[in-house]
Amino acid sequence: MILLGLLAAIFTILTAGLGVALSIFARTGRLNLIECTCLGWLLGSGIVSLLLWVCGTFCSGLALQTIVTIACLALGIVGWRARQHVTARFVLPSPANVTEWLLTILVLGEIAILFFVSLKHTLGWDGLLNWEIKARYAFLNGGVIPQSYYSSGGRAFSHPEYPLGIPFTELWLYLWMGEPHQFWVKIIFPLFYAAGALLLALLTARLSGKRWVGLLIASLLPFVPSISASPGGIVVGYVDVPISVFYLAALGYLLCWSANNALCSIVAFAACAAFLPWIKSEGVLLWFVLALLGLTMSLSKHRVGPFLVSIAPGLLIILGWRLYLKLVLIFPHSDFSHPTFSLLRGNFGRLADIGSILLAELGETVHWSIFWLLVAVAVVYLFASRKLEKILLAMAVLLPIAFYSLIYLFSTWPSYTAHMTSSVSRLLLHVMPAGWLAIGLALTQPKDQNRHL
Amino acid sequence: MENRIGPVEVNRSIDVYVRALIGIERGSEKLPDTFRRLPKAGPLIIFVRNENSQSEFLGMMIGYLSWPREVQLVTVATPTVEKELAEVNRDSVAGLVFCSVNPPAWLEKRVRLGSGIVLVPLAETAP
Repeated sequence: MILLGLLAAIFTILTAGLGVALSIFARTGRLNLIECTCLGWLLGSGIVSLLLWVCGTFCSGLALQTIVTIACLALGIVGWRARQHVTARFVLPSPANVTEWLLTILVLGEIAILFFVSLKHTLGWDGLLNWEIKARYAFLNGGVIPQSYYSSGGRAFSHPEYPLGIPFTELWLYLWMGEPHQFWVKIIFPLFYAAGALLLALLTARLSGKRWVGLLIASLLPFVPSISASPGGIVVGYVDVPISVFYLAALGYLLCWSANNALCSIVAFAACAAFLPWIKSEGVLLWFVLALLGLTMSLSKHRVGPFLVSIAPGLLIILGWRLYLKLVLIFPHSDFSHPTFSLLRGNFGRLADIGSILLAELGETVHWSIFWLLVAVAVVYLFASRKLEKILLAMAVLLPIAFYSLIYLFSTWPSYTAHMTSSVSRLLLHVMPAGWLAIGLALTQPKDQNRHL
Repeated sequence: MENRIGPVEVNRSIDVYVRALIGIERGSEKLPDTFRRLPKAGPLIIFVRNENSQSEFLGMMIGYLSWPREVQLVTVATPTVEKELAEVNRDSVAGLVFCSVNPPAWLEKRVRLGSGIVLVPLAETAP
């Protein structure tokens, strides 16, 4: 029964997400099955968790589960009918030569290994005490986080102010399995990895025009130790890999929109970017970076109107969650002060320490191998290309790192260096797949552009 | 924390951590059972050692497992807690939990929950 429940939970998530993905891409007449399934998982987890949160304000228990299930099935039906309406056909891209076959087998093998490793590992410290705890308490309360949790000062260690994207995806599995099963719930993390690896391959191939480059980049993804090992890797059930996949997808579709001006690309961007603040608080910064870069690009291409519409869903989620916290959260968050100019001036002296800790982390081969060295070379190539899209891609890697470092100017920990040392490696994970996308696109620069170096 | 695949248990992560931290099996069942026997009213005060990650993690794990009871985590800088205990109004508290912290010698009715963890109920426990 537990396994049936688990399958039903995953099926409903995929149905909701696939429905939205089919609606987005139906008008193109060609539906890439892998792309739709990967987006289906990302969007499905976002939609289900949002629905649980919103519907949980007026119902709970079986009624909540039934309403969300019906909504998932309805989205699936709407997507299917949209596909039928324009007679779009499904396409399963297959490797064209021996190299592509070998790389495909490698990517699929790596995904299988990460499923195995994830199930062999327990949830990590934060995975259990920051994220799963919310799913468990909500499960014990009929699918709704009790008000007393938000007002419990003694449980401030679990960060009640963190958004519910991943905890409520876990909750959905718990509701269907009928118990808070900590073994099977870990399955969602390799699913995010699988979606991320395949989307990385697709988006790199699409933007570079070379499928083998996309497959090569996707096959290199797990060779960065941080993605599979502590701290923050998928095996410990943290949200850093899932948010990195949403960031990759949103960035990739923004770049596709820049290249093709297709409605489906900007809608896919809007959907993926909207969930960034719903996965982790730092997602607001990632969303802001994408909004800034997208605005720059849309201004230069005279497409400001559609772009402004595309960032509205994300803004709605940010404001909605802030409002909710104001209504329910009794005690303040204490890791960072509210940023002010006087505080900035007062803590400006921290910059040297922050810079040296960042450099030390980027050069930490145990966490990153030579990944950041490759990114640095790629960023130089992208800037040297003098093409707006490539410069924006380089900025999409650099800006989050800069913002993430600067937030420690406002750290309230007794030792801001200890704060940064303990968390910056996880924050850097957020831009890691985007870094691979940058490497992939730098690899495929035409020769006539390289001569400017 | 590494383990082999399986057994496929509901509270797999909690049990592995509790076993590693305080050496008891099926901690996800035993610890909440113990806390349920405390008086219904009143919070649980959990003492943890400052800059001792094992003690802090254990304290948070106790906070996690004692839901829905209100908890209060008190971080102490010294191995004894005389000063911090003096500030606790023990009439309104269900129990005290000491995680890698030594309870004062005069505190009676100690219950050793596992290695390095002691519970002191502060009122009559339920049967």
